[in-house]
Amino acid sequence: MKFSFFHLMPYPYLPDDFDENYPSSALTFPNSFFDPKLGNQLYHRYLDELEYADRLGFDGIAVNEHHQTAYGLMPSPNIMAAALARRTERAKIMVLGNAIGIRGNPLRVAEEIAMLDHLSNGRVVSGFVRGIGWEYFGHSINPTRSRARFNEAHDLIIKAWTSPEMFQWISPNYEYRYVNLWPRPLQQPHPPVYIPGAGSTETMKFCAERRYTYMSVYAPARVVRRWFDGYRQAAADLGYVPDPEKIAFSVPVYVADSDEQAHREAQPVLEWLFRKGLKQPGAMHTPPGYMSPSSLRGVLMAGMKPFYELSYQDLLDGGQAVVGSPGSVTRRLRELHTELGGFGQLNALFSIGPSTHEQVTRSAELFATEVIPELRTLDQVG
Amino acid sequence: MTDVPAEEFLDLDGGRVHLLRGGRGEPVLFLHAAGGAGSWLEFHRLLAGGFDVIAPDHPGFGKSDDFDEVEAMDDLVYHYLDVLDRLGLDRPHVVGASFGGWLAAELAVAAPHRVGSLVLLAPAGLRLPEHPIADLFLMTPEELVAALFHDPAAGAGMLPAEPDVDFILAQYRDMSALARFSWTPFLSNPKLERRLRRITAPALVACPADDRLVPVEHGRRYAERIPGARYAEVADCGHAMYFERPAEFADLVTSFLSGASR
Repeated sequence: MKFSFFHLMPYPYLPDDFDENYPSSALTFPNSFFDPKLGNQLYHRYLDELEYADRLGFDGIAVNEHHQTAYGLMPSPNIMAAALARRTERAKIMVLGNAIGIRGNPLRVAEEIAMLDHLSNGRVVSGFVRGIGWEYFGHSINPTRSRARFNEAHDLIIKAWTSPEMFQWISPNYEYRYVNLWPRPLQQPHPPVYIPGAGSTETMKFCAERRYTYMSVYAPARVVRRWFDGYRQAAADLGYVPDPEKIAFSVPVYVADSDEQAHREAQPVLEWLFRKGLKQPGAMHTPPGYMSPSSLRGVLMAGMKPFYELSYQDLLDGGQAVVGSPGSVTRRLRELHTELGGFGQLNALFSIGPSTHEQVTRSAELFATEVIPELRTLDQVG
Repeated sequence: MTDVPAEEFLDLDGGRVHLLRGGRGEPVLFLHAAGGAGSWLEFHRLLAGGFDVIAPDHPGFGKSDDFDEVEAMDDLVYHYLDVLDRLGLDRPHVVGASFGGWLAAELAVAAPHRVGSLVLLAPAGLRLPEHPIADLFLMTPEELVAALFHDPAAGAGMLPAEPDVDFILAQYRDMSALARFSWTPFLSNPKLERRLRRITAPALVACPADDRLVPVEHGRRYAERIPGARYAEVADCGHAMYFERPAEFADLVTSFLSGASR
């Protein structure tokens, strides 16, 4: 089992009347609430936490991309990865991922990841995401073209990384007459690719065909089980069994010295994450054309509650958060491992909402010293 | 009066078009708004009292196929030229509402000789940054209904109390088709305004006075730019004009088309 320390870099200082008066922490939430002095401190604190996770022995440290939101302060994950590349030694630097669906110029992503691969001495992991619904409003990208843009940008980037000669790229959404990547990436043929899935069978098949890592987004374990089974089935249809490490489970984790302390501290920060950070009306979550009718039907039929309607107990019971002493967290993750039919990577969020630096570092430290050794051999191949 | 229209399907290259048709008289091509595909409302019934009203669903809307190759407004104009050819209509009256008004104007710009007379009802389509169109893509269904009507009571029945999955998916498909043509530039063609001088048909622009989605300045600008166009406003009415004031709008359109056809 591999373990990564994932960061969202939230801006936790929301106004007291946030719940009543703001439909979301994203897109239309006024940037006057961003205090530059506090924000500046947050960036350095959060980067310190990622560097600390490297020293603690996490296999990966992970950043992602979000725009125009207090939910996450990383419009450019590649800048965060660059800040980490020469200050960390061992951990993979995981960009989970670049939102290539909304990028105007995906060739730039190929270039930046290739640069990061050199800066990190071959430690970069390249995730690709479509971009979350509200970002199609924020960056004025037509959501009805999202899937096509994602697929074309992906194919272009892979070809740019791997082609030993100049080529021209012409597809419905992009035209490049000269693609000739300098630098080529250090990892050959290219850095490992991770794709987050949220139930689309197209994505499962896409990952299985390319042997990419399939990573869950936040959802109840009963739902994630169906996604992982779908990925395993897509691989089986192609005649192979996926390496467990190609299946990554994403979940917030909070560890403290005792169960009592863990729950007391975790409840408010988890409620912040799901009720404030992820608060978004349907129109922002699923702009028109962002999902195919069949995928949307699946989502509607799954009967998932919106995040902001989930209680703390719902989150724990559903496997959408793992909280407790090292012993309890170890037990719960073993249960979830079984419930999900196995996974070989855990992508854990320790810096949750308004949690303090001390809470985050203590939680990560307990996890690294007491939980990881217990779970290391889960899903070990051979 | 035609209470129950005939339902027809046209097979074109690329897919099937669904349309409703009713009434007798000169043909009127009616181009629906973002909402309203496949609807035959009191407005249509009244208009069909004097005309042969033909109301197709746009590609991706209602019961028409997706027509994936119809990607943008220019494709949509060619699509409707195909529809006119297929129906054997040489120079019908063209009436369009909101998004359909934009489409009607584009059709009249691209093929002035194919439009007998032109009626634009609260048309979108112009880029007027100082009078932005409200972002209907970002509204909840309840907010949208509240924005559509001058009198909220008039819109009360528009949403089912407990929408089922099929209703939600049908709405999502219509909005997805709208987004395909109008996400960016938002509900507009920046080049359209300067092209309006090409229109040769007699034209009427009619707007609801209390339009909270498409400010009346859009309609007024159309009327200024289309040679010889008339302009009218209907008081105490919101953007959902043929839901809220069907008789007034049907009267305006009928009397204009009757005059224009002579």
